[in-house]
Amino acid sequence: MAAHYTESAAKVVEPPSKIKRKAPGSGQVKRSVRRLESKAKVDGSAEYIYNLSLPGMLYGKIARSSIPHGKILSIDATAALAIEGVHAVITGEDIRRLIPDPYYGPAFHDQPILALDKVRYAGEPVAVVLAADPHVAEEAADLIAVEYDPLEPVFDEVAASKAGAPIIHDRLRPAATFPDLKYLQGRSGTNVALSGRVRRGDLEKGFRESDHIFEHTFRNGKVIHAPLEPFVTLAEMNGPDGLTIHTASQSPSFVRSEVSRLLGWPENRVRVRTAFLGGGFGGKLYIKLEALVAACALLVRKPVRIALTMEEQFYTITKHGATVRLKTGAKKDGRIVAREVETWWNGGAYADIGPRVAQKSGLTSAGPYDIENIAIDSHAIYTNEPPAGALRGFGVSQVVWAYESQADIIARALKIDPLEFRRRNILREGRPHATGMLMTDVDIDAILDRLAERMEWDRPLDHGSGTIRRGRGIAIGIKACVAPTTSVAMVNIYGDGSCGICCSTVDMGQGSDTAMAQIAGELLGVSAEAIRVIHPDTDVTPYDMATLGSRSTYHMGNAVRHAAEDARAQLLRIAATALQTDIDELECRDGAVLTRSGARMSRQITPFWMLGGAGAEIEVDTETGRIRVTKLVNVGDAGSAINPDIVERQLIGAGTMQFGFTIFEEMIINEGQVVNASFADYKIPGMLDLPDDLTGELVEVPHRHGPFGAKGIGETGMFCVSPAIGNALYDAIEVRVMEMPLTPERVLRALRQAQDRPLTSD
Amino acid sequence: MKSFDLVEPATLDEAIALLDSQDRSVRAIAGGTALMLMMKTRLFQPTRLVSLRQLDGDLRGIRVNEGGGLRIGAMTSLAELEYSPLLAGTYPVMSQALRTLSNIRIRNVATLGGHLAHGDPHMDLPPILLTLGGRISAVSRRGRRWIPISDFFVGYYQTSLAKDELITAVDVPGQSPGVYCWYEKFTARSADDWPTVGVAVWYSVDSNVITEARIAVSAATERPMRIAVAEALLINAPATRQVFSKAADAAADEVQPIADLHGSASYKREMVRVHVRRALEHALNSRSNGAG
Amino acid sequence: MKETYRRTIRFKLNGRPAIAEIATHETLVEVLQRDFSLFGARESCGQGLCGCCTALVNGIAVSGCLYLAAFVDGAEVMTVEGLASGNELHPIQQSFVANCAFQCGFCTPGFILMTKELLDRHPHPTTDEIRHYLSGNLCRCAAYPDIVHAVEAVSGARKV
Repeated sequence: MAAHYTESAAKVVEPPSKIKRKAPGSGQVKRSVRRLESKAKVDGSAEYIYNLSLPGMLYGKIARSSIPHGKILSIDATAALAIEGVHAVITGEDIRRLIPDPYYGPAFHDQPILALDKVRYAGEPVAVVLAADPHVAEEAADLIAVEYDPLEPVFDEVAASKAGAPIIHDRLRPAATFPDLKYLQGRSGTNVALSGRVRRGDLEKGFRESDHIFEHTFRNGKVIHAPLEPFVTLAEMNGPDGLTIHTASQSPSFVRSEVSRLLGWPENRVRVRTAFLGGGFGGKLYIKLEALVAACALLVRKPVRIALTMEEQFYTITKHGATVRLKTGAKKDGRIVAREVETWWNGGAYADIGPRVAQKSGLTSAGPYDIENIAIDSHAIYTNEPPAGALRGFGVSQVVWAYESQADIIARALKIDPLEFRRRNILREGRPHATGMLMTDVDIDAILDRLAERMEWDRPLDHGSGTIRRGRGIAIGIKACVAPTTSVAMVNIYGDGSCGICCSTVDMGQGSDTAMAQIAGELLGVSAEAIRVIHPDTDVTPYDMATLGSRSTYHMGNAVRHAAEDARAQLLRIAATALQTDIDELECRDGAVLTRSGARMSRQITPFWMLGGAGAEIEVDTETGRIRVTKLVNVGDAGSAINPDIVERQLIGAGTMQFGFTIFEEMIINEGQVVNASFADYKIPGMLDLPDDLTGELVEVPHRHGPFGAKGIGETGMFCVSPAIGNALYDAIEVRVMEMPLTPERVLRALRQAQDRPLTSD
Repeated sequence: MKSFDLVEPATLDEAIALLDSQDRSVRAIAGGTALMLMMKTRLFQPTRLVSLRQLDGDLRGIRVNEGGGLRIGAMTSLAELEYSPLLAGTYPVMSQALRTLSNIRIRNVATLGGHLAHGDPHMDLPPILLTLGGRISAVSRRGRRWIPISDFFVGYYQTSLAKDELITAVDVPGQSPGVYCWYEKFTARSADDWPTVGVAVWYSVDSNVITEARIAVSAATERPMRIAVAEALLINAPATRQVFSKAADAAADEVQPIADLHGSASYKREMVRVHVRRALEHALNSRSNGAG
Repeated sequence: MKETYRRTIRFKLNGRPAIAEIATHETLVEVLQRDFSLFGARESCGQGLCGCCTALVNGIAVSGCLYLAAFVDGAEVMTVEGLASGNELHPIQQSFVANCAFQCGFCTPGFILMTKELLDRHPHPTTDEIRHYLSGNLCRCAAYPDIVHAVEAVSGARKV
């Protein structure tokens, strides 16, 4: 399936000698190695970009738009500049002098580094104050006076997609990096950034042949990544014509190319480095602060640092709110024969990677089901809200919420057990997916089996009585990993035989350093703990597309594998010729081998299928609407797990995050103003909120091309939690809530509505 | 934050001399946890903060008053209260509530005086103190006055404390045996969220008939407040679920909830109904009585 | 800046005498980072809710982002960097490593210091007490189950 190619270059520096090497297959993979950086993370010494300050640097504080949509009439910085200690105030016009076309973005070049001419959401950066003292910068930023001519805003994604809605961008500006978006260039008079389509079979015929047709609309609220390490970027001049950017980013390679493009510089003049990330979850992808900080540093010719507060995260990037309309035709026996899916993604004011989210999650939005007739439309929509981008699952959890809630509705309507209903419809090995791609190395039955076992599905559940009712539910989901993409790795064997891996995968807590060390160690016969992983520095570590989409174990893992195999082969060749000794008994000293390898993926929509399932048992307080999740089982197919402990914890971590998104996390945006932009007002799950019984369960269906059979799994735990809980809610109180999150008030309102004694709407 | 004069007087007299009845930018700071939040968001920009941290002595600690009640120094930290065996023995309802009040780091630093002076309607101790009764000692250059707790909370983030007054202590009366107390806190989102509604109840029962009753509601309303109509329905009635429900209905009808992130007005009204009833029931079931 | 806005504070930092020139509005976490290059206490939510900025002042856990640096004058301050003895990690730190009780690690020093305070107060907490005590610290990676295991392991906690 995947067309790998490997290029290698080798240089032997010193003659071999005395360090004994074990043969490959040395038990490094499929072993729960502790994280390499364990000590640094418990003694306070772990390196985060957050820790960095540079001599003579200025702190930047961003002044933000107070209105959701409007023309900028004037920006008055007089009062700010009058504050003692203010070094400069930078506006969009200043940036335009440095960068004539200062619009950036991974999918569309639509986002100005600082607002130009107009603002498109409340919270949009309008100016930056630079000062040696962060408190001074903050005080002065409050004093920047901006005069606006307000324009009519639009917030709802469906309303924004309709003709006559206020237009947010005059014309569409797709990025040249995505040739498939080129046709959108210059399109005007629309808020639809992109519409993705999938067609299979004959939808109308499918509906005609259906015994039952179900049509529902589901909603997802907006939520936020909230990594605990703030977004932080520093930039400094590197000689007269170079720039170094230190940034808490998941995609240093992309930062380099995008900043170079903006500046009109060759990429070799821009250096981007990262350290450990204090969480990312998709929020720190592509460009966030980097272009702004780089521009400020170049304008004032001093190092500049900008770190966002937690509040500012809410104005920077969110998960997409989405409306999903689902129409499904089924036979009496439960076989789904036709499905129409239309999704509107609330992308906010700037596209970020939203069009790709719409497109990619659209591809799998009919679910992991074998359906002959399918029509999928997935629309990326601009609105006057903060921009939305990738969040751990890339749109998949929003559509799974819809199709797995509806699966439950259909199963119940046809009086088929929900688990059995899924068995009758799932995609099996060798069958074509909606996109035509064949399913390979998948086993959804195994996921259902595991769910049935762990949920004790055959045993009846006590549904309770009085004001506490119990219910249980399950869900399954599918995601395509990103393709085609490139990862490149270098494995260095140093003079003393110690080993270093250079790769641009960012370890943001998922344990990639450890996994890469295990893969290289396996082949080089070195224990993973003894290998050093050099953190991304675009001057040193080779290109990687980004750390996203659960792609690193597979893609970078393969690159590291190829590089390590190459290094090993070279060592063995040297040994064979120089020492004429048996490979397993090779001894060498002061040997150094440098090798490089790259893996590129084919044009198929995914290198491997990501499959997961979840089961939930809950209790509902029928007087308050409060849900208590008593059991949450998250099953994921990791292929052959490189590090089973870390993989299980990824499932639990992702499951807990989605659990928060399901039962209470929600950005409240009122007329474009985020009204709960803080941890006091936007709550994330803490110790006391967790499900009583919370587990991650590995199903291991080895992948033929994965490194040692592995697949990525960082997002899998997100997919199915919401519909599992929503379905359990129905099981408990026979009330279907169509909109996430399932807050107590929303549940109680739905329940009281069903009881015909509704709460008033105030 | 902007710089300010930070003064740390050693005596109460010095401290009150440094406060200013006219200048809103001059304030006292004790633990500072609430004040720092306002300063960090620039809602409050002081020119002078008068730190009360050096004024330990009388302002700190818990003593038994005549009549079996307690006098709690205003500078007593919430954690000291939480861990106080004296408090647990006298007002277990307070000790219990302190366990879920914000988090431990905040309780380690925040003081009782600050907790009350902030006037935030979401705080946990005000409704409890409204039911236990008591008075607040306020000191200024004009001398000391005792403010009954029932007169203290006057509006949304508003108390009857003057700008230049300091809380020095809170007197809570002894509770007679056989009093039933409970504090019911309902958070709609995470466990550590601000409450959607807080309900404190206090009542005494003689031969299965309620003789005295106090019900206070917080968080749902603009200030913590007693609900007299609901209390009236309890008095001379038997302590039964039906009676509790009637009182809860009356409380729900009486309150004027404020919609916020924790719920709409109608949801909060409903939650007042549910949690007044539950608080009354839990008080009876737990036998957590005010006199220990 | 006005003279009264500045002051010198003297305190003990991880067992050693320390001195710093600060402004009145500066917080403990800012001063630890700027003047002492200690980054174990780090500001995240900025509201005392996540626990990333936890430091011990006279043995008591405080949120360094809400604590004026001026207030540690004369006090003893401990950060996560002061916990190990030489190269030997503190048993709490060892237990966090052994139980894989972190992912990104940003919240970890806060959890460790809260655990230190917990065990100083209650050497043998129940699992419920552990969960209750650590409920004011947030971990977005959600390593919570492992954190509880780590504290149980180091304290010999019994399950309840």
